[in-house]
Amino acid sequence: MLYQPDTYKIEQDLSRFGRTGNDIFIPGATEEGLRQYRRLLRNNINNTMVQAFPISRQVLPDDEWNELINLFFADHDAKTAQIWKLPAEFVTFVKEKDYATLWSKPWLNDLLYFEWIEIEVYTMPDIEAEPFTLQGDIRNGTIVVNPEYRLIPLRYPVHLYAVEEAKNHPGDYFMMVYRHPETREVLFADLSALDTFTFENIAHEQLSLSDIAAGLKLQFALSDQHPLLTNMIAFVQEMMAQKLFLGYAEERK
Amino acid sequence: MGFRRDIADAFLKTNEINPDFVEVAPENWINMGGYWGAQFKEVSHRFPVFLHGLSLSIGSPDELDLAFLRQVKNFIAEHDVRVYSEHLSFAKMDNAHLYDLLPIPFREDSVKHLVARIKQVQDFLEMPIAIENVSYYTPVAAQMTESEFINQIVSQSGCNLLLDVNNVYVNAFNHHYDPYEFISGMPLDRVAYIHMAGHEQVSPTLIVDTHGEAIIDPVYDLFDFTVAKLKPVPVLLERDFNFPEIRMLNHEMNQLRSIVNKYWIKDVVPA
Repeated sequence: MLYQPDTYKIEQDLSRFGRTGNDIFIPGATEEGLRQYRRLLRNNINNTMVQAFPISRQVLPDDEWNELINLFFADHDAKTAQIWKLPAEFVTFVKEKDYATLWSKPWLNDLLYFEWIEIEVYTMPDIEAEPFTLQGDIRNGTIVVNPEYRLIPLRYPVHLYAVEEAKNHPGDYFMMVYRHPETREVLFADLSALDTFTFENIAHEQLSLSDIAAGLKLQFALSDQHPLLTNMIAFVQEMMAQKLFLGYAEERK
Repeated sequence: MGFRRDIADAFLKTNEINPDFVEVAPENWINMGGYWGAQFKEVSHRFPVFLHGLSLSIGSPDELDLAFLRQVKNFIAEHDVRVYSEHLSFAKMDNAHLYDLLPIPFREDSVKHLVARIKQVQDFLEMPIAIENVSYYTPVAAQMTESEFINQIVSQSGCNLLLDVNNVYVNAFNHHYDPYEFISGMPLDRVAYIHMAGHEQVSPTLIVDTHGEAIIDPVYDLFDFTVAKLKPVPVLLERDFNFPEIRMLNHEMNQLRSIVNKYWIKDVVPA
């Protein structure tokens, strides 16, 4: 770094002014010009967040939204060079500062996260799926998962209700957010606990539905695994049609 | 022309916009998958790609983000990028990105700092870069003129100059100098690329470089004056938002073409 300390400080002061709007003195600087920078910088942050979180922006009162933007810009050191990824840092910031409790909006973290995940899945780098065929044994075959997904747990069902109603239904919700392999649109599925368990065993353990059902039968000392298996088959068939599951693993030769 | 999502169909589906090259910000496309990742692959397959960076923050005291620069380097290789340019400004301070272009004090120590940084970037990328004269809305503790500042940086670093003619017009208005004299004082033999854009006057004393309006006649006049002094270089029409009908964008491109054709005739790569 070859800056002299006073040059460094001038840039630092300009940056702090841009982030906070707090008074500074820079030799030769005009008030109008400085104000313009504050406006431009804050607008960039605000516009990015409004675009990323349209529902949150709509449901939060102006003063709370503006306070979030101002505090985020002033207090958070933005890490990403890519501004379209900044909303992920905003989600973390709001959660860490616990505005959900402070403002008695328990759904806030879930809503921001839910809105961000849609962007994340829509833009995530392409991931090549395992080779698959469309014909297979749904009970005993290895099912291939569409790898472009995020499975997120939610405490409040912001994906099912308006936030004021979601507040009345705390629970354990599992939201599947994934990208259609052909249209590349983001799709959503509300999964039950059993669906989630099934999905994770398929995705991470490569277990067949028969194996998963047999494991559950053993674990919970069930007399009959068939009702479970029937539910799992229905889930997989439905989600195969919806392209969360792509098909069946090709047999290794 | 800049490739923007709002007008992507005009490039890729209707072919209403058919430029000689496209410019994009690497920050907007690195690691982009899905629909837009596929769109960009098609763009880079069909058109030569120029990169115009936003976040390198060449004028920042912070260390260069070499991890990000490596991604840029890979992106350049992957898409056979012809030109990588950045801004003579800073956009990061105290390890925090600011996402806009802030003015650097025009000073001797700034020159030394910038020259070292530009050389570091060029060595890392193994290619020359072009640095753009930015618009600025207030002077900040300057100890030399903008023209001296740019000349020293270009001559000492060996970089090319991306001459933004609209920025010259904006700065001349905002800081009360003669844009023609300014252009004449630039290291014109080092100009590798030109940007042309619209702007917005936000008060009687301030113009902001918005890229959201049509180019105005005085800027075309300044462009004409500039082109007459240069060897042929690529010319970009910068439009980032507030898009008009496509025919209006083509009209602007054709106006730029008609000016460069007066002087360059052949070998020109206007966009």
